[in-house]
Amino acid sequence: MSPRLQFAGISKLFPAVRALDDVSFSVGAGEIHGLLGENGAGKSTLLRILSGVYRPTAGSVLIDGQPVTLNNPVAARAAGVAMIHQELQQVPRLSVAQNMFLGHPLTRGGIFVARSEQERRAAAALAAIDPSIDPAAPLGSLKVAQRQIVEIARALLDRARIVAMDEPTSSLTPSEFERLAKVIAGLAREGVAVVYVSHKLDEVFGICKRATIMRDGAVVGSVDLAQVSEKSVVAMMVGRELAQEQHRAHATGVVRLSVRGLASATKVHDVSLNLNRGEVLGIAGLVGSGRTELLRLLAGADRASSGTIEIDGKAVRFSGPRDAIAAGIGLVPEERKREGIVPLRSITSNMALASMGVFAPRGVIDHRRLKRVAAEKMKRVNLRPFLLDRPIRLFSGGNQQKAIIGRWLAAGTRILLFDEPTRGIDVGAKAEIYRLIEELAAEGHSVVVVSSELPEVIRLADRVLVMRDGTVAAELDRASLSEQAIAAHAIPQTKMQNGQVHAGSSAGPQARQ
Amino acid sequence: MRDAGTLIGLIVILAVFGALVPGFFAERNLINILQQSSINACLALGMTLVIISGGIDLSVGPTAALSAVISASMLVAGVAFPLAIAAGFAIGLACGLLNGVLVAHVGLQPFIVTLGTLSTYRALALIYTGGNPVLGLPAGFRAIFNGSLFGLPLAVIIVAVVALIAWIILKKTPFGEYLLAVGGNEEAAYIAGVPIARTKIAAYMISGLLAALAAQILIGRLGAAEPILGNLWELDAIAAAAIGGASLMGGKGSVVGTILGAVILGTMRNGLTLMNVQSFYQLLATGLIILAAMLIDRVTRGRG
Repeated sequence: MSPRLQFAGISKLFPAVRALDDVSFSVGAGEIHGLLGENGAGKSTLLRILSGVYRPTAGSVLIDGQPVTLNNPVAARAAGVAMIHQELQQVPRLSVAQNMFLGHPLTRGGIFVARSEQERRAAAALAAIDPSIDPAAPLGSLKVAQRQIVEIARALLDRARIVAMDEPTSSLTPSEFERLAKVIAGLAREGVAVVYVSHKLDEVFGICKRATIMRDGAVVGSVDLAQVSEKSVVAMMVGRELAQEQHRAHATGVVRLSVRGLASATKVHDVSLNLNRGEVLGIAGLVGSGRTELLRLLAGADRASSGTIEIDGKAVRFSGPRDAIAAGIGLVPEERKREGIVPLRSITSNMALASMGVFAPRGVIDHRRLKRVAAEKMKRVNLRPFLLDRPIRLFSGGNQQKAIIGRWLAAGTRILLFDEPTRGIDVGAKAEIYRLIEELAAEGHSVVVVSSELPEVIRLADRVLVMRDGTVAAELDRASLSEQAIAAHAIPQTKMQNGQVHAGSSAGPQARQ
Repeated sequence: MRDAGTLIGLIVILAVFGALVPGFFAERNLINILQQSSINACLALGMTLVIISGGIDLSVGPTAALSAVISASMLVAGVAFPLAIAAGFAIGLACGLLNGVLVAHVGLQPFIVTLGTLSTYRALALIYTGGNPVLGLPAGFRAIFNGSLFGLPLAVIIVAVVALIAWIILKKTPFGEYLLAVGGNEEAAYIAGVPIARTKIAAYMISGLLAALAAQILIGRLGAAEPILGNLWELDAIAAAAIGGASLMGGKGSVVGTILGAVILGTMRNGLTLMNVQSFYQLLATGLIILAAMLIDRVTRGRG
């Protein structure tokens, strides 16, 4: 029997770039197939060919053994291909059902939209996977995880034979991921071929049997995941063995930042903590436990309703990020695109934004000095490619992150707050960011790292605070640090008894069944 | 890069009129074009800064009118020129301040705010004058703005100096970087410590000030101030900025481009008038030029 989906010798040439080079692999009916590779490896280009956005320069896509011509997204959809994008392509103000029929609404007589019929069919499709979703509710009122499920229900409705998912879990909590994993397994039982793209190896190992690894536009190999280790897969992705680096502590006994009883109007209640010179403080906890909100308070981005902050023994008050920056605090935010970068501006401009006063002591920017400092800081963070005048939007996520770190180095920041420092970043660049954070600590910077990835927290932190319901539930030093210990404190007790929630995206046992 | 494209556009338009209109390239006519473009260029420079910040200022015409009638009535009443001119500038700054505060601190949308103040400022100018023009400006005042230097009308030189200052602001000062950052990604600019409100308010105040300057130039030329002066000025100013490459999404714009855009619009008007083209067709040509500029922009640069 021919496989449900087969890529046969696909190449794609862009002007001056060979994005895909003779890519061949197949996915059987009912198979969940992982597609792995660093940013730029060609995964997205391949998915765009599958979904009809690009046409291959050579090679063909076969569905059930038949070559298909996917000239545009409508043709791909008609051929039974459904794409579920990383950034969901939905209209928040329309209802769930309207979104599921977006672009091809059911009509009465070709004029009036048959809303109730749409909702009935939407409900039928949703019933199989998540009956709690109301088809008439505005899509915007749903959580991201539920919206993802709506997209999957839409694929079911379209009778898709192939579902391609691009980083579907980047913003899901572990329990939401487990729910999604069940839905995906359900799709596979229906005979759908699923192509699953994710940066999170543990997820891929958890839900896929086989995976294809790509690098530089070519297939490195297709592997049976039961036969290989995560480490060897990473080596295939990056083309070399990544040294498994050990934690190195540089913390001193000198308190730099001292927070007492800090609270916000909503999500943070009564947080106290100390941060020493050269220390990396990890903050773990479930999504929604107040971690991001705590960082925003410390960075001056939101106002505290009570509590005190002291830096080097001096009380400070922030009425905006400007004040926090002046006091030596800088935030590297989680959502780089939304809160980190000014996309059209150059690396240099993005770097200089927080320290304009330094570069323009007499009101006019000293461009020579600015260039010199930019070159120095970007060399320090190892920006690649080293093009300082290029708009930052043309750089990879990892290099954008490096530029934001460089921004704080240029501003003379002594306390760096990282919110999910490696979200959406390649494995290779990830290791670089880790090393950078450690070097910063070694130089005497104080660092806070908020992360949902427990191995990341354990790799980096000298000490970990576990947050729960807006407050610090536990403090763990390196001796008592483990994924289990963090999870035990992160999870509200009632839920733990039900066994539903698992802390951290990588708290694998359940996910890997 | 983008400015080079605008310049080529201007050269093509100049060449076409040069071929069609005898005497188009006469020094007198070229100076005329610059003079006729100067008021719009002045407004468009302020508009460019506001557009870069992610906003828009629809109230420039009425701001100019209010500034004009107040300066004019002080001049007629015998107030010293510098004081009367300063009062006009102060009105422009105040109008901009109100726009800026409503946008930056109250958080209203720039389009709606300046649509509201467009009517409000116009109404104040009409109420203040009872709808009548202020006539009989002193000859000495008129001489200031009608003089010339190095063979160029003073108005052109004033606007050239303003353009130079605007260019320096955008390229060489933190405020320029802040404008581009606020318009390019306000949330990221906030986290990076950019003073968002101050930056936006300053942009609207500069726009108001330049509207007031345009008003002084105009009443100096006319010798009278009408409360209905500056009707639809905002549209020409936006057009000049857009032709020059400013993005109404914010975060992008060029002083050189805007000046070229204003000169393109001035050249069109001048050339078509010399060709005795009816005003209806002039309007049509202006509209088509704006659309063509945007189309060429999109085709040459692709998306985004």
